[in-house]
Amino acid sequence: MLSRRRFLVWVSSAVPIALVARRTDALAAAWIADDAATLRALAEAILPSELGREGAARVAREFQRWIDNYREHAELVHGYGTSALRYAPPSPRAKWSAQLAELREIVGAPLASRREIVRARLKDVRTDRMPAVGAASHVAVALLSFYYQRSEATDLCYRAQVGREQCRPLSASSRAPLPLAGGRVETSR
Amino acid sequence: MCIIGSGISAAMVADKLALTRAGTIVVVESGDEMPPLDRRAALRQRFLDYDENPWPRDHLDGYEVEGPLQSRSMCVGGLAMHWGGVTPRFSPEDFRLQSQFGVGTDWPISYEDLEAHYLEAEEVLGVAGEQGPSEMDPRSKPFPMPMLPLTYNLSLLKDWVAKAGITMWSQPSAKNSVPYAGRAECCRNDTCTPICPIGAKYSPDFTWNALRRANRVQIHTRTLVRRLEVDERNRVERAVAVSRDAAGGEIEFRAKQFVVAGGYVWSSHLLLTSRTARFPNGIANGSGLVGKYLTGHRNVQAYVRLPIKLYPGINEQHSLVSKQFMRVPRRSDGRYLRHDLRVWESASGQGPRLRGDSGALMLGDEILSDWRRRTEQGVARLRAYYDVIPDRASELTLDTSRKNQWGDPLPKLAFRDAPESAEARAWTEDTIKGLFNEMARAGNGQVQRTQSDEFQDHPAGGCRMGSDPATSVTDSWGRTHDHENLFVVGAPTCVSGSCANATLTFCALSLRSAEEIGRSLPSKSS
Repeated sequence: MLSRRRFLVWVSSAVPIALVARRTDALAAAWIADDAATLRALAEAILPSELGREGAARVAREFQRWIDNYREHAELVHGYGTSALRYAPPSPRAKWSAQLAELREIVGAPLASRREIVRARLKDVRTDRMPAVGAASHVAVALLSFYYQRSEATDLCYRAQVGREQCRPLSASSRAPLPLAGGRVETSR
Repeated sequence: MCIIGSGISAAMVADKLALTRAGTIVVVESGDEMPPLDRRAALRQRFLDYDENPWPRDHLDGYEVEGPLQSRSMCVGGLAMHWGGVTPRFSPEDFRLQSQFGVGTDWPISYEDLEAHYLEAEEVLGVAGEQGPSEMDPRSKPFPMPMLPLTYNLSLLKDWVAKAGITMWSQPSAKNSVPYAGRAECCRNDTCTPICPIGAKYSPDFTWNALRRANRVQIHTRTLVRRLEVDERNRVERAVAVSRDAAGGEIEFRAKQFVVAGGYVWSSHLLLTSRTARFPNGIANGSGLVGKYLTGHRNVQAYVRLPIKLYPGINEQHSLVSKQFMRVPRRSDGRYLRHDLRVWESASGQGPRLRGDSGALMLGDEILSDWRRRTEQGVARLRAYYDVIPDRASELTLDTSRKNQWGDPLPKLAFRDAPESAEARAWTEDTIKGLFNEMARAGNGQVQRTQSDEFQDHPAGGCRMGSDPATSVTDSWGRTHDHENLFVVGAPTCVSGSCANATLTFCALSLRSAEEIGRSLPSKSS
């Protein structure tokens, strides 16, 4: 008899997804929660070490929440100069859940080994750019996109409290952003 | 009186008439109400997280039209629910292109005729601005609010463009630099387009909410006006509409004055679909020009890498602006070129990536290190809107192959340059790119890439104003030449589209129209 995980992996590779999407998605909802350790291990391996273990675990939890709150067929923001409307595609949850299941071996492995395993899984990912999270073809790429598109990633890159897309005092915009805790901000002035 | 449409031009007319005139203002809007302010933070978060439309149900189903429709938005507040809030004025030259440059058509009004209404529009919207050099930026009074402060990034970029001999200043914007009209001060959420979560950016719902609270306006939503009917005296007698919620059954609106405020598409469209045996080409169309001379402006953009440390994200939607290239004399070679210039901070081409220069996949700290290395220098985004003279065949027509659910033909859009613009297009874009290269060199920078969008931005026209009924649809007040109680307001009445964001001009024109509309209505005091 197939385990739930094996069933999901088999389904995602062998059967037209449209036929079973709802069923697999429902299963996947629970499965990602079951695979929380894998997701945390993945986050520790592929996100910046400056986040620390706690930071990586936090991002993994928020990524899980992102998947949980995804709404299929939601109307997306209008394009400009066209009358075409866009809608959110089916949830990637089932696909990502299956991919996560295939990564269970990284739990407990050294970081370097985990990265080698992830690299092997991503060998067919050709894109240079971080895709939109929901458009990522692999759960590892989705997690990277999820993190790097966040305001906090910009702050970490610049080592400064830029606070992109956060509510901040207008008057503070005239000066260079403050450094992250314990750091110094480089200026051109 | 009856206003058809509830976008920003309609809001200007209603606001002014409610202030000065007695009586009920009826507004008929085909779309839905939009979510109230207290829901917008959550809707914005869905937009940021999932790219979801923060204005759910802001369109009518089945309205896929042929041609470059600017937006599907049909809702209370119209497109200005998700505008960028950028409010430059046109310059005096825009109103006299034929007499000053020998191209296009002069407007029947001058900049000076509109100046008082520009001031009025800036007050109603709440514009924060910086006075530019007076020779470039003529205005008779200060802006209602202090300018949005130049960010750290923009201050550095201003110093850079000054080295190229270009004067720039803070872009005027309908965003609160201080609390204004009961709305909050901007706090740089930086999603002005498509949604401001705190109401620091003006949108027409604020005007409608105030007018409804004062019991001065009735807004009939989800009610689509299909045609206007004209009586024997050539006056519009009634607007015939359908409810989107009820099968069959027409609703009629009777009024002394009718104001069509449906923007550059739905205004001309309504006049054309009002055709009858007596008016086979639609109403207000004695000139045959309803739907003609659609206008706007195209752009050239560049991304310039500069040896400056910038921090993209401080306030990405705010920019520097210059009118140095709008306020130009006639060229000795006879060619015509006017354009605006804006500069923004940018992160273009500098985002985190999956593969490094070698093509190898990066994970862990490799991505962050690569990102940090590539952001040691800054990037500026430059854009110039350039003036496009519209051809008569730049037009909206009725599409007999596509109909809405009530059987009315949908519009079909085609923008075409007048011959003088078509002939000059390549030279125009090359000249602007040359300027961008000069600017880059002045800062020891390098143009990374340039692009030009095909569509024309801030579209307008279709019911252009003029003094001669043979060559225009309305007079300078927006009153149609053919029907003395029918006005068209805002964008459709523009003769040409200038080379700067046009919404403030649409508002100023609408306020000017309201002045004339109000003359036949009883004053509030009486």
